Amino acid sequence: MSTTPPDETESRKRLVALMTRHQRQIFAYIYTLVPDRHDAEDLLQETSVVVCEKFDDFTPNTDFVAWACQIAWWRIRYSRQKFARSKVVFDDEVLAAVAQTASEMAREIDERHEALALCLQKLAPRDRELVLTRYEPGGGVSEAARRSGRSMDAAYKALNRLRKLLHDCVTDRLAHGQGGVA
Amino acid sequence: MTLSDTEIIELNELCGAVVDGTLTDAQRVRLAACLRDSEAARRFYARALGQSASLHAYASELHAGAPDAPARVSRLTRGWFVALPAAAALVLVAWVALRVRPEAAPVAGEFVARLTGAKDARWTTPALRPGERLEKNQRIELAAGLAEITFDSGARVTLEGPASIAIASAWDSTLHRGTLKASVPPEAIGFRISNAAVEVVDLGTEFTMIADGRGAAEVLVLKGEVEAAPRAGPQEAILLRERESRRFAATGVSDVSDRERKFSLLHEPLLLERVTQATRLVHWSFDEADGPVLRAEAGGGPLDASDAQIHGGSPEAAARVEGRRGKALRLDGRRYARAIAPGISGSTPHTISFWIRVPEDAPLSEAYSIVTWATRSKKLGNRHAGINWNRDRTEGPLGALRTDFRGGHVIGTTSLRDGRWHHVAVCFAPGDDRSDTPVQVRQYVDGHLESSTVVTSRAPGPAVEEDPALADVIWIGRRLGPGGPRAERFRGDPDELFIADRGLEPTEIVALMNENRLPGTALAAQP
Repeated sequence: MSTTPPDETESRKRLVALMTRHQRQIFAYIYTLVPDRHDAEDLLQETSVVVCEKFDDFTPNTDFVAWACQIAWWRIRYSRQKFARSKVVFDDEVLAAVAQTASEMAREIDERHEALALCLQKLAPRDRELVLTRYEPGGGVSEAARRSGRSMDAAYKALNRLRKLLHDCVTDRLAHGQGGVA
Repeated sequence: MTLSDTEIIELNELCGAVVDGTLTDAQRVRLAACLRDSEAARRFYARALGQSASLHAYASELHAGAPDAPARVSRLTRGWFVALPAAAALVLVAWVALRVRPEAAPVAGEFVARLTGAKDARWTTPALRPGERLEKNQRIELAAGLAEITFDSGARVTLEGPASIAIASAWDSTLHRGTLKASVPPEAIGFRISNAAVEVVDLGTEFTMIADGRGAAEVLVLKGEVEAAPRAGPQEAILLRERESRRFAATGVSDVSDRERKFSLLHEPLLLERVTQATRLVHWSFDEADGPVLRAEAGGGPLDASDAQIHGGSPEAAARVEGRRGKALRLDGRRYARAIAPGISGSTPHTISFWIRVPEDAPLSEAYSIVTWATRSKKLGNRHAGINWNRDRTEGPLGALRTDFRGGHVIGTTSLRDGRWHHVAVCFAPGDDRSDTPVQVRQYVDGHLESSTVVTSRAPGPAVEEDPALADVIWIGRRLGPGGPRAERFRGDPDELFIADRGLEPTEIVALMNENRLPGTALAAQP
């Protein structure tokens, strides 16, 4: 037996569709402001809860990502009071400016995500392995250095070089209208 | 304004240091100055950090598919759902599904609680009767009287009408108005009740929430402690201990008026009419000193359960080891046992409960099957269901409890493959024969509800040979396949196997774990 009214069911379906489509963008936005994977995941969870609770306030056919990022922004502000001092990278003024830019760029960041998959494929296998080891769950620079037989210093340098290479590759693909489609 | 090459190289290095956690104070000051003053720098920063977010996602997907990767589980997939409302959980299920296995999809219409008691209850919504299962997202409107809801997590709440509550999941509900008294056992710590004014996370306790329906709520703690987070303003969560109370509203947090009288009322016992569910139960203790026969005890009514017979491997004397209680059955990858469990192949719910110890180095080839049985219902067809540990890391944590059946599976979170004893209970409810009724599976490990979401897979499991002799047979330590019993075996030590002919309540599962018996059910050896 379910007592959920039909319009509420429709509303929930819309919510799930929107979140499924845009959750990655919201995560990227959060991560940009809180550059720690676990903290960002926790904040995404908290944001998802509030988005669900307040979904009735969302105006259909308006910018869902901007609306959800606004909710994420308030969760980030709230959580900053609880973070250890060492985790706070910027003061409120700088963070607010970055948040504004990141919110405006959500669509571009999503397009870059798609293009990045193809740029990753273009890396030499050894370089790709280094990058993916650095970013895999439980990985890190030291694990990437260990597995690739590099010193820590060499691994940091290689990662910076590869991140820049990927950044340029993605920018180039988007500039030529290639996006994420090979 | 664009960035010069030098600025780009510097920013790239600074962004890398942020992501890798190596930013020095001097770099922090420099980066902050760049971001404060330059829109171009902010745009570069957003792209660089967004790229790292993407790399985390791609690396997670590939890591999940790596055959030899160590068993690490992202916090995204580990225990996320326990604290989420249903819609949020559904959303996250969808996202996790996209990240891990694109074809996986959650099944809606899941039962997460049961009405376990009532007194003089009058309902605004359609009347509910004690014993009735309650769905995710179900809203309950009690006009008057008392109603007790037991969540599958083990948390129990008593509503006093007029009251309105929305059940979000086995771990979460929203009290819109009315009075609620929550009792949360250790297994359900983390159970959450929210309201427009406050969100209360139970840390193992008894507490009451009184919601006025206009956005304010009072929280009074009777035992233990809770964490209460106000919804309004930036105020942090408050830890409330025994005999402490607060009122939460949009205007802020204040003392509860008339608190002594309210506390004294809460200590008055509530006499509810509870439903008593008959249970037929069969138990194999594996306590025989040796020999090929494993004696069955049955209780709760006539049941043609059989003693189990050990097959394969030798010598039989090596088939017992010290167990969690008395002796346990030693399954060495060759040995298995077979018994009759009446009704297990049909459509009615069953609970299969046992202790299990899986060696840390148990090979992936010996993950199948701790307990397996053929299914003979219209929905599940002539196939099989089995309780295993997960050996496919693309689908869930390696070693976690896993129940497979036609067209779906459920995977928990705790690895059983650690050489220690774990208590396992699986409530398996195939449901009626309508295809739109989901199969309900609740998995408990060490008394904790680990998973109840059914993930459907594209291809149904292979058909089992339509051998009538397979119906109502359980196999301990042997896998079934299209041709009937297969060569794959299980390595590990099961102990104290119980099969009950209904979905047991969380408190009953804890009783089986702690006391090795079901309250009110006497057992006797099978003739």
